[in-house]
Amino acid sequence: MTAIVVATVVGALCAIGTYLLLQQDLVRVVWGLSLLGQAANVYLLAMGNILPASPDAVPVLAGHGEPPSGVTDPLVQALVLTAIVIGFGMTAFALFLSYRVYQEHGTLALAELAEADEAGDRR
Amino acid sequence: MSVIASWTPMPAAIGADAASTLVVAPLLIALVTGVASLLAGRQHRGRIGVSLFGALAYLLAVVAIDWYLVLAPDAPGIATYQVGGWPAPFGITLVVDGLSAFMLTMVAVIGIASLLSSIRVLPDLDRHRYYFPLFHFLMVGVTGAFLTGDLFNLFVWFEVMLMASYLFVAYDGGPLQTRAAFWYVSLNLVASAVFLLGVGGLYATAGSLNMADLSRRLAEPAAYGIDPVPVVGLFGLLLAVFAIKAGLVPFQFWIPSAYQAAPPQIAALLAGATKKVGIYAIIRLSFTVVGDAPVDVSLAVPFTGLELAGDSPLVFVGAALFAMAVASIFVGGLGAVGGRSIESVLAYSSIGQVGFIALPVAIAAAVPELRTLGIVAALVYALNHTLAKGLLFLAVGAVRTATGTSRLAELGGLAGRSPSLAVPFFVGSLALVGIPPLSGFFGKFLVFDVAARTASSALVIVVVAGSVLSLVYATRLWTRSFWGPPSTAVETAVTDHVQAAVLLALALAIVGVGVGFEPVYAFAEAGAEAALDADAYVEAVDPADEVSTGSGGDH
Repeated sequence: MTAIVVATVVGALCAIGTYLLLQQDLVRVVWGLSLLGQAANVYLLAMGNILPASPDAVPVLAGHGEPPSGVTDPLVQALVLTAIVIGFGMTAFALFLSYRVYQEHGTLALAELAEADEAGDRR
Repeated sequence: MSVIASWTPMPAAIGADAASTLVVAPLLIALVTGVASLLAGRQHRGRIGVSLFGALAYLLAVVAIDWYLVLAPDAPGIATYQVGGWPAPFGITLVVDGLSAFMLTMVAVIGIASLLSSIRVLPDLDRHRYYFPLFHFLMVGVTGAFLTGDLFNLFVWFEVMLMASYLFVAYDGGPLQTRAAFWYVSLNLVASAVFLLGVGGLYATAGSLNMADLSRRLAEPAAYGIDPVPVVGLFGLLLAVFAIKAGLVPFQFWIPSAYQAAPPQIAALLAGATKKVGIYAIIRLSFTVVGDAPVDVSLAVPFTGLELAGDSPLVFVGAALFAMAVASIFVGGLGAVGGRSIESVLAYSSIGQVGFIALPVAIAAAVPELRTLGIVAALVYALNHTLAKGLLFLAVGAVRTATGTSRLAELGGLAGRSPSLAVPFFVGSLALVGIPPLSGFFGKFLVFDVAARTASSALVIVVVAGSVLSLVYATRLWTRSFWGPPSTAVETAVTDHVQAAVLLALALAIVGVGVGFEPVYAFAEAGAEAALDADAYVEAVDPADEVSTGSGGDH
């Protein structure tokens, strides 16, 4: 059951992230990137092996390899923590960058930026 | 500084402790230099001094690694550093072997050239306070990626490297830069997510992220209860991520805008160092880690007449790299022929050249008999690309300093006005084309050799066509910018002597590699053998007595 919920969450996050990534507006693209990163994080967490909750298995995650009962796999959690920190930093940078793009171009619409790109190529 | 102290020229072999100190030295030096140059604040001279000293120490540490760990007669060939003293499958491991030492050497050389050149183009140093710290953090990321023995750490070092490169692409802050940086950042954020998916999947499938442990588990999947087939697909995800870093077609589209947006000194580093991280990761992961996994394959490559069959995922790697390499050679070559500024020609040429590096890797993956030779060809070509493309991008910087422009329409006759720029540029172009006795000749020759040995005429035709394209764009670049009557911008050009000296030094290095090719070949061969010798890698990182505790029970 938990596995199905986690899989659905990963799928939904990926779907929404991809949808936003394909939007015209730069800020939405940043949101899409951020959601996609979060989907990867949830997926990574789930890769520690999901077991049904029971007295000797910690909810959601139980060990990997030969699990001592009652201890989660700490590695995936360490990985996800690192990935979350990096992801936040990158999202902040991408947001800042979209602000700079707005300052330079006066627009956040991708179509207009692509036109500027082509004009730049022609110069 | 104990690193420098341990680098007294002693003929005797160094101990295990000194060896592991050497492994971590370049990483620490780059990190300390980055922080120190950040702390230097407004002390411009101090910051430049720290930067130069750090880059020099980095070069010395890398030379020490090359000699004591790889090339000396009694060198161990491979050395590890277990961070925090934790043993391999649990702790973080840093590893140096022939392959990473070869890559580090290229980066150290182009790094110091780029740094020297940068110092001359940043006169308004108060505005450029963060240039040098960023430069060293880029080096930290690149070095970490070459040294790490752990897949997740590879992800982390990639991000460190990318963060610095994002800022450099956006560095000049104009409309072109912000746009290019946004494409670059978005693409790489998607790539990071895909990287995490691949890493997570591999962890769930194989039960480890340590490359040596992973290699051992995949070589004997039955003993560890692993199904090796999903690993092929997961590795495919990672391959796509590395191809993005290397700029192989179809993941090349960010390269022209990013290379044109970044300062030319940094473009030299992007082409010379960060691109090679992608190539390095492909070679390391394919040959050292997943190469021995038993997967039965039988598949025909269209148009080349090659029948790919084997018992290893490398066959798939070979097929994928073939397609990407051939497409890169043509897309890059044709794009470069139509470039409107020197750096746009060079950026497209970089795509084509990375195709030339990936092609022998693909052959090495697909044809077991050509494995060593293929990787040697790729490494030698990569070295040539780093030196020649680095030189040419630094020359763009020098041309811009001298004339204020790098657009082909506004240039012409530079050869008459500043021969000190023209001579190195000419050498760099010839090296790109592959004229003897320059380093490019041996790179091209080895790629031709490997392609010819596959007995596939289609491959040889691809290589010849790619070489003709490189000849065309190199000639066009030369005639448009250096020959002909001087333009108005060129007439008033004043060449910066330090920049010209850096270019000259790189040109001499290109000639030197070509004339004294023997040791370079030996080094590349040591690199190729290190990449292929998965057993030695596993043994050095994670000695065998760990097997009993780690085996069995994995899902």
